Amino acid sequence: MRRFAAALLSLALLGGALAQSVTVYTSVDEENAANLFAAFTRDTGIEVNFVFLSSGPALSRIEAEANRPQADVWFGAPSENHVLAAERGLTQPFDNPNADALADNFKDANGAWYGIYTNPLAIGVRTDTLESRGVPVPTSWADLTDEAYRGLLQMPSPQSSGTGYAVVMTLIELMGEEAAFEYLEALHPTVQTYTQSGTAPSGALAVGETAMALQFTPGFLKLADEGFPVQVVFPSEGVGYEVAAASIIKGANNQEEAEALIEWITSAAGQQELVTNKTYFLPVRADVSAGEGIPTLDSIELVSYDPAVAAERRQELVDRWLEQVLGQ
Amino acid sequence: MNQLKRLARDPLLLVLIIVILAALGVFVVYPLVKVILTSFQTRSGELTLENYQLFLNRRLYQNALKNSLLVGAVVALISVALGYVLAFVTTRLRTPGGGALHMVTMLPIISPPFVSAVSILFLFGFNGLITRGLLNLTDFSIYGFGGVVLSQVFTFTPIAYLSLRGVLQSINPTLEDAALNVGASKWQAFRRVTLPLSLPGIASALLIVFIESLADFGNPLVLAGATFPMLAPQAYLEITGSFNLPRGAALAAVLLIPSLTAFAIQRYWISRRQYVTVTGKPTASTSKLVSGPVKVLLVGISWLFGLLVAAFYLVILIGAFTRVWGFDYTLTLQHFRYVFDVGFESVKDTLVVAAFVTPLSGLLGMMIAFLVVRRRFPGRRLMEFTSILNFAVPGTVVGIGYILAFNGPPIILTGTLAILVAAFVFRYMSVGIQNGIAVLNQVDPSIEEAAQNLGADSVTTFRKVTLPLIAPAFFSALVYAFVRAMTAISAAIFLVSANWNLMTVQILNQVGSGRLGVAAAFSVVLILIVVVFMGVLNLVMSRWTRHSGSVRF
Repeated sequence: MRRFAAALLSLALLGGALAQSVTVYTSVDEENAANLFAAFTRDTGIEVNFVFLSSGPALSRIEAEANRPQADVWFGAPSENHVLAAERGLTQPFDNPNADALADNFKDANGAWYGIYTNPLAIGVRTDTLESRGVPVPTSWADLTDEAYRGLLQMPSPQSSGTGYAVVMTLIELMGEEAAFEYLEALHPTVQTYTQSGTAPSGALAVGETAMALQFTPGFLKLADEGFPVQVVFPSEGVGYEVAAASIIKGANNQEEAEALIEWITSAAGQQELVTNKTYFLPVRADVSAGEGIPTLDSIELVSYDPAVAAERRQELVDRWLEQVLGQ
Repeated sequence: MNQLKRLARDPLLLVLIIVILAALGVFVVYPLVKVILTSFQTRSGELTLENYQLFLNRRLYQNALKNSLLVGAVVALISVALGYVLAFVTTRLRTPGGGALHMVTMLPIISPPFVSAVSILFLFGFNGLITRGLLNLTDFSIYGFGGVVLSQVFTFTPIAYLSLRGVLQSINPTLEDAALNVGASKWQAFRRVTLPLSLPGIASALLIVFIESLADFGNPLVLAGATFPMLAPQAYLEITGSFNLPRGAALAAVLLIPSLTAFAIQRYWISRRQYVTVTGKPTASTSKLVSGPVKVLLVGISWLFGLLVAAFYLVILIGAFTRVWGFDYTLTLQHFRYVFDVGFESVKDTLVVAAFVTPLSGLLGMMIAFLVVRRRFPGRRLMEFTSILNFAVPGTVVGIGYILAFNGPPIILTGTLAILVAAFVFRYMSVGIQNGIAVLNQVDPSIEEAAQNLGADSVTTFRKVTLPLIAPAFFSALVYAFVRAMTAISAAIFLVSANWNLMTVQILNQVGSGRLGVAAAFSVVLILIVVVFMGVLNLVMSRWTRHSGSVRF
């Protein structure tokens, strides 16, 4: 099997000399990446060789290979990682003709990186459970502290999950730091358990272990699509979001093809593939609908915070959360 | 001095002793010292007390400490009471299905972590089969004290049961008969004879369960919920979530104090007060102590526990073969497909680790037992103490100690197979050592001398006399090491890497990301592997020695 793969690889490399190809480090999960790249190849004729690396290892690999880059594009991983890569001079800016179609928060001002999809925070609600309890579906952060929702919400712990920390940052941006922690204290009785991972709440929602869950949207959208009685609620005050980005690695061997890939994924056609392939990622272009029943970005009140500040204050804010909220 | 001289004449023995002592120093003592040192440092390495001051001025850590101690005490009491009843029923009462009860009671020992936590969620959770489906409770919450205690009682009762079974078997029932004959009531006979004789065993079981409960982090991680912080999971989160090693080390060090105290009491105080009243083989051991109704009560309690265990495993089985628990009970193999497609590496890795750990800990354990009992040398007591020390140290502490000790010069082991193997071998060989010491103490050296007098050389003597005698202890050490290598998580969680991952950690990850079906499928695969291994080993053993009965589970 391994030999077969090696043979395939050398064939692909040989073919690369003839056909056009691009080498990609993808931090988008393997299954979704494979589907998206197949669509790209179908549309452009450019072959994609890709390896999955989650964001941390990808960044250190790119850094280690800086003198002799082995890949052309870093595809996926939250934008703050691409900010870091640009600061360290590992990537190179380029002019993307689709740049105008992207809002400012979905691209770097110098063109170092471009957003490829986004996931807002949301509350997933089991409508059947809430209905049987005679409780309305909440619509705002303020609703959640109501006595009626006591013990009905699972959210990731800010201590162990970046998603949980994104919740804290969102609330600070919305309310200011003091009010945000007061709110989190008030929210505490609503929380059944703080999960360790950022995707656990949607899993608990599926088995009905919790009536409401708080995390990034893909897990909820998938459940709703599979027929679970799950409704996705974006709190009316506003929600934070992650932006996954792509950038071209400095010294790329296939500059043209690399540009083609990023141009394609930020085009309307490329963004449409996010929907067609059921990635449940939200498009970054306002002119592409995420699919039936899923609101487009302009219908969600979004809140942005500075990723650099978020990284810098993490320990301090998590400590405060531990003591003031968890330790109360 | 005499001892030294004798050693000098036997260089092989000398080298062996030095190597073993050095290994114990590196893999047992050094990591513990590292934990304690690190807990007195800031993240940048300066000396500080601030990590311990957290316990003075932070409610979270005070609560965590209080909760952990409370749960430990309550779980110890319940598990030991239950274990005593179960042991009494299976050793003293002749009831139909006694063998089956024994088997079912033992099951949780071979189960992967989280089986009970996941089952409890499936049965008693918000959408639980019993709480929601049967009783239609809508506001019941299993999270917190109750859930953790239930889950730990399930996990640790078998341990109490096993040790109390040994205690009850060693009390000769004719003593009770004698009390009854001289006019004592059944209750008096139990209170004045049986209970006092089993008290040291009960105290010892209490302490063992208390230690295990403090160290356990899997059950609390899932079931403690939002308002019931506990120490072991908090230490884990400090390290994996906040990357704050010194603070995690301090929490671990605090965990160490009650554990080591309990261990010291158990080992140096209670074990000296153990009574053995058996002279020769126990006679017919059916107790006349209990009247009909009491017997019904005891057997009823026992089977209630047995049924709970059976229910937990049934739930896991159903969860593994159906699409979504509580929502869609369509039969499916998708979870197993996931295990074999995505998680197969970890199945392979786990087996490789177990394949190294099992023979290594068995052999090393027997060697240490042999040296401690049969040879006199300086450092003998030290060897005995350090070799079983890691057993008393909570797994979380061992794991943290290993990353602190082996993540930089002079010894770099993180990310390798070796660090997992070392952690398991030095933690789980202790059972083999204790069994080996017990067996060797009972074997009079004159038997070996007799063989030599009859012309056998020392190799033949060891092969034909000593080896068969300690074979049962050796095999039970193998079984224990294998089972723990397959099921342990609290130390391993810190030591796995991209190259070497374990099934138990996979189960944790699946539970953590809410894929309970996949977690159940992993558990089923793991239990199957353990059962097959134990079957094969029992077969090999019964061919090899006639003492097989004493090792079988």
